[in-house]
Amino acid sequence: MSDGPMAIRMTVDGAGVQAQVRPRYLLSDFLREQAGARGVHVGCGQGVCGACTVVVDGVPVRACLMLAVQADGSAVQTIASLPSLEGGGVSGGDGLTRLQRAFRNHHALQCGYCTPGLLVATARFLADHRSPSRAQILGHLNGHLCRCSGYANIIAAIESVLE
Amino acid sequence: MKPAPFRYARPTSVAEVVGLLATHGAAARLLAGGQSLMPLMLRRVERPALLIDINRITGLDEIEIQPTRIRMGALVRQEQALRSPIIAQAVPGLAAALAWVANPVVRQRGTVIGNLLTNSPGAELPAVALALGAEFAVRHAGGEEIMPAEALLGPQRRLSPQALVTHVLWPRRPARAGFYEVARRDGHAPVVSSLVTLTGEDCRVALSGVCPTGLSCPAMARMIAQQFPALPATQELARALEEDLTGPLYADAHSSARYRLQVAPVVSQRATRDMILQAGAA
Repeated sequence: MSDGPMAIRMTVDGAGVQAQVRPRYLLSDFLREQAGARGVHVGCGQGVCGACTVVVDGVPVRACLMLAVQADGSAVQTIASLPSLEGGGVSGGDGLTRLQRAFRNHHALQCGYCTPGLLVATARFLADHRSPSRAQILGHLNGHLCRCSGYANIIAAIESVLE
Repeated sequence: MKPAPFRYARPTSVAEVVGLLATHGAAARLLAGGQSLMPLMLRRVERPALLIDINRITGLDEIEIQPTRIRMGALVRQEQALRSPIIAQAVPGLAAALAWVANPVVRQRGTVIGNLLTNSPGAELPAVALALGAEFAVRHAGGEEIMPAEALLGPQRRLSPQALVTHVLWPRRPARAGFYEVARRDGHAPVVSSLVTLTGEDCRVALSGVCPTGLSCPAMARMIAQQFPALPATQELARALEEDLTGPLYADAHSSARYRLQVAPVVSQRATRDMILQAGAA
């Protein structure tokens, strides 16, 4: 039991990170401030918008709803791990993944703030659902807020990569 | 916002948790999936002095088949239960309701028991547990106790702050199941939700959002069973619902009690239709 700083260690996008953190320090803040993972976007900071979604030990989580101390000993993957989360790596001359290219081609982002969380969650979603229905895609997207209101294009982008 | 400071404990056994709860009781909160508790801590509605993280206790993430029941540990995630063939076969009402809870990311972290015990007004699962006759295995310093869902999820909650709910026990009952809800936004807590299950003559109806806690509706269930495979009219369901209402009604800033009462028979009729149309069911 501890209220002072606790020593934690984890891997973030494959690199080892060690730190002393207070129990109330959120994983989202830890990833940005201590691990340098600035691709983790903090939107609402209360578990509603999905922008900070990362993958912890293979499971997608909202990093603002997890404490850094909870991820002690874990492997954390952020948007920087998208090539391996998607499984296909990057391809073509633009250095983008298949999903990134689909988002670009369908104009599925405008300001881009929600995009990292959306791409990470979508990569995990498509790993679990090879050919999701439109209803399943909508069920997945209800966990993500896009204030530029690009949902129609986001749906089109996701459907374009289905087999 | 960020949570207020707290002490953090990461026990690895149920006995350790019971020891911590015996000392700290009401000042402590248990952290499982955190999908309800963490937002409350971020808004500082909850400011526990001690946070007991139970995620590293082994064995609580299992769904076990027992002769008459399915035993589900406190770390079983909602998505895990939703995808479980055991649940689909033996507790189809729970599976039908889970598909409507939150979204895949939240469900992969949030636990079934955490959702039940948070017992938010309108939430799908507490009503389902009440109507299906679930029970809880509760551990405290004195040993283990089995308590009916009513004791933890009904209007008078009788859970001691020194107790840890280790399992929820669902009766094994293959059935046809239909679920429907009206929500202000997909994936958010419904205004009103309804589950209808039917096995032979045994019909159950679980209604959320009409009373402050979930409601089991035997009168509506009788009417649905009598008319099966025909669909009762909403007016008939509304009359039966009046019989089922025994306590106060629920209302919030968005939906009045009157609106909820009007919607409940319609939502229940749609759930019934889905139950009737379910192919290849019991």
